[in-house]
Amino acid sequence: MAAATEELQFLGSIPGPESAGEVDGAVAEEGRPRGGDDEEILRFMDSVDGYLLLMNSLSSALRQGWLDLASARHSMGPSRVLSTLFDHKEQSAATKLQVVDHDGLKPSEPKPHFALSKWSLQEECYSTYDVSERAFTEPKMRHRGSVTTPENGNHESANTTASSTGADASNHVQRARSKALSVFGGLVSPKLRTAQLSFETALDLIVELANSRSNMLASFSQLKE
Amino acid sequence: MAGRANIPTNSSALIAIIADEDTVTGFLLAGVGNVDLRKKTNYLIVDNKTTVKQIEDAFKEFTSREDIAIVLISQYVANMIRFLVDGYNKPVPAILEIPSKDHPYDPAHDSVLSRVKYLFSAESVASDRR
Repeated sequence: MAAATEELQFLGSIPGPESAGEVDGAVAEEGRPRGGDDEEILRFMDSVDGYLLLMNSLSSALRQGWLDLASARHSMGPSRVLSTLFDHKEQSAATKLQVVDHDGLKPSEPKPHFALSKWSLQEECYSTYDVSERAFTEPKMRHRGSVTTPENGNHESANTTASSTGADASNHVQRARSKALSVFGGLVSPKLRTAQLSFETALDLIVELANSRSNMLASFSQLKE
Repeated sequence: MAGRANIPTNSSALIAIIADEDTVTGFLLAGVGNVDLRKKTNYLIVDNKTTVKQIEDAFKEFTSREDIAIVLISQYVANMIRFLVDGYNKPVPAILEIPSKDHPYDPAHDSVLSRVKYLFSAESVASDRR
């Protein structure tokens, strides 16, 4: 706690203990609790730290993906691994995003929340947001298809249905992945498959980065005021 | 809620990409590629023949489309249109600068971190004085 306070003082955001008397007076005049500012500053610093860590992880995932692509190109031939092979006929993206406006700390602050839906599966929403909290506030966000929700009290049938739905989902994902790979021909290098997985991992990190960015800008707006 | 920027709830938004060929190829493998009825794609491959005007037009198009929620742009490409990227301040679509094969990520050039870095100005002043 003392170390955190010392770091905050170094940033110049809060005054040192020697001017505590003046600060207390200033806070009393403004009517804002000093603890609330500290909490916001810590939240902001955490979000910046998280953003940088995620960016580092993204760099690693992308590097692995590029390496695998280069290996695939080497084994399959440079003319077989090109972006020009992708069809320019009308097609819908298999991997999409869900965007929800999560209220910022103030009603005037927009704070979008992003969730990834891979391979047209609505139940595969990758999010760092606490799902249990959202289940009570916005139940419509979770689309489970034919799976009954635990709120109905039918836990056993929900589990059975979920396991069969999970197997179907897994098959669907495999088929979707194979379809994306088929652009490069019938027989593709295993390295191309691992490249696909690396870029899927990168997508997960990108969505987390987008949410981290959203949190950072919201905290920053709060601190500016 | 007067004065609040509206963020439309979107359950099927796209990810746009402005990057080099390998990066775009990789993300297309991951299933983010979209081609609409007018043959417009959600990605732009940047190579040595791509002009700054083309990059600018793609950035403006992707940031004005309502069906795009995130725009990924290689940081070295973002540096070519830095004035546009830094001037962008909408919450959606979110602009994320990503590294490329030949240009690693530099936090000093990231537009988001540039916007918030003045909070750390005391640290930069203190380090200059040492």
